[in-house]
Amino acid sequence: MAKGRSQETVIEYRDVYKAFDVPVLSGVTLSIPQGEIVAIVGPSGTGKSVLLKTTIGLIVPDRGDVLVEGESVYFGRREALREVRKKVGYVFQNAALFDSMTVFENVAFGLRDGEAKEIGREEVVRRVVKALEEVNLDPSVVLRKLPAELSGGMRKRVGLARAIVGEPDILLYDEPVTGLDPVNTAAVDQLITAIAARTGVTSLVVTHDVPGALGFCDRIALLEDGVLQFVGSPAEFRSSPNPLVQAFADREAAAALARQGLGAPA
Amino acid sequence: MGSMLGLLTDGVRAIGRVGSGVAGHAGGMGLLAWRSLTAVLSGSVAFKDFIAQAHSIGVQSIPLVLVTATLSGVVTSQQGGYQFTGAIPLYVLGSVVTSSVVLELGPVLTAIVLIGRVGARITAEIGTMQVSEQIDALYSLGRDPIPVLAAPRIFAGMIAMPALVGIANAVGFVAGMIAARLTVNLGSESFLYGARMYWHSYDFFYSMMKALAFGVIIPLISCHMGLLTRGGAEGVGRATTSSVVFMIIAVLVADALFPPLFLN
Repeated sequence: MAKGRSQETVIEYRDVYKAFDVPVLSGVTLSIPQGEIVAIVGPSGTGKSVLLKTTIGLIVPDRGDVLVEGESVYFGRREALREVRKKVGYVFQNAALFDSMTVFENVAFGLRDGEAKEIGREEVVRRVVKALEEVNLDPSVVLRKLPAELSGGMRKRVGLARAIVGEPDILLYDEPVTGLDPVNTAAVDQLITAIAARTGVTSLVVTHDVPGALGFCDRIALLEDGVLQFVGSPAEFRSSPNPLVQAFADREAAAALARQGLGAPA
Repeated sequence: MGSMLGLLTDGVRAIGRVGSGVAGHAGGMGLLAWRSLTAVLSGSVAFKDFIAQAHSIGVQSIPLVLVTATLSGVVTSQQGGYQFTGAIPLYVLGSVVTSSVVLELGPVLTAIVLIGRVGARITAEIGTMQVSEQIDALYSLGRDPIPVLAAPRIFAGMIAMPALVGIANAVGFVAGMIAARLTVNLGSESFLYGARMYWHSYDFFYSMMKALAFGVIIPLISCHMGLLTRGGAEGVGRATTSSVVFMIIAVLVADALFPPLFLN
């Protein structure tokens, strides 16, 4: 069910700092309103995934705070983190599917703790099938397969199905197209847009694929040297006089062309 | 003088580093044990996970335990027979084999088998889950990895290990008895007579206490090391090696502590 857009801030990063021997995030502040798709781009190792992980406490910031739907993740109630995780679907870089579980079990695991028991087996199957269909996978083909039997592109989609099966308010994508060929990259980019349009989910996408991101996001942010060097619309990004933005866009466009030439079918 | 002072400082630093590392691991394992216990007591551990682990740790280890137990019984019997011939009444061999197997070889060799077969696998399995973000995925889905991964393994180890040691004791004893007949021609009745002569029921209890301790140590260390794994495939290899070393040292230290604590 689409929630429609509002100006209500759903995710807010307040002056987030994190260092691993060297500083990675040096004061990131960003607000994301409900229903918006925000892409975070930047060179490797600049803390894009770290920022994403601070949203649900997978990495704890050294300073600063993250607010999800107005609730502080780190300085609020004790239950805040658990409740935030219930509202968030997380798509991991390498899908992070559970090796010992079938596709069905992996996707069903995305239902919140205890929910599967509450709704019963039939409803679980219905929701898993629906989630798989939504990411353009044929349930009759993949349902009983193990992750090791799937291609990279299929694994990513199963990871996405696991993230959306619980109908979250927020979707966090960590490099959803890394390692995919151009066809699968375009398919995943379309899925991000389609899911956001259908459900009204707020999406934060960490990606290297700048051309793809410019196609699907409402706003794009460049994270470099631990701070957000640019936040704006795709049109503003393209015409930005900021030398860091221009240099990064040129580098990534060249890299994207090289990847297209070398991309292997998923 | 200056170099002596430098050596001394380096030595103290090294001791400090090792001490700090050991304290860190001990604290981490204490916390893991506590969280696993509370997970079990609060009913957060799925029974099917516990059964799956008990099967993997216990039932699937039986063949290897049978082999090691048989060989330990046979070797003890043969060596005892060789030493006793002409010096000590041969029926004493029954007592020597029984005591050796029940007090020492059964629990320790079964622990070594479990370290290689189960402990290393648990560290590699959980370590791989850690480096491939599967543990993060559990957290992101609102699941705590302790009730899902660690607690079933630790409590399955606690149940499986005494059962395996019980089997190892029985098989080692019978193998020793058969070997005594075949090598030094000591009949079963004489062997049993010797075994009964110096037998204390407490020995079996002692053996089971050791088994229980090893049954906690092995999965606890292996889960702890798995959860600490960082750094891709190389990290998994490093963690698995460290885990096996820690498990062997911990089992042997615990084994050395048992006689002064429980046999006097």
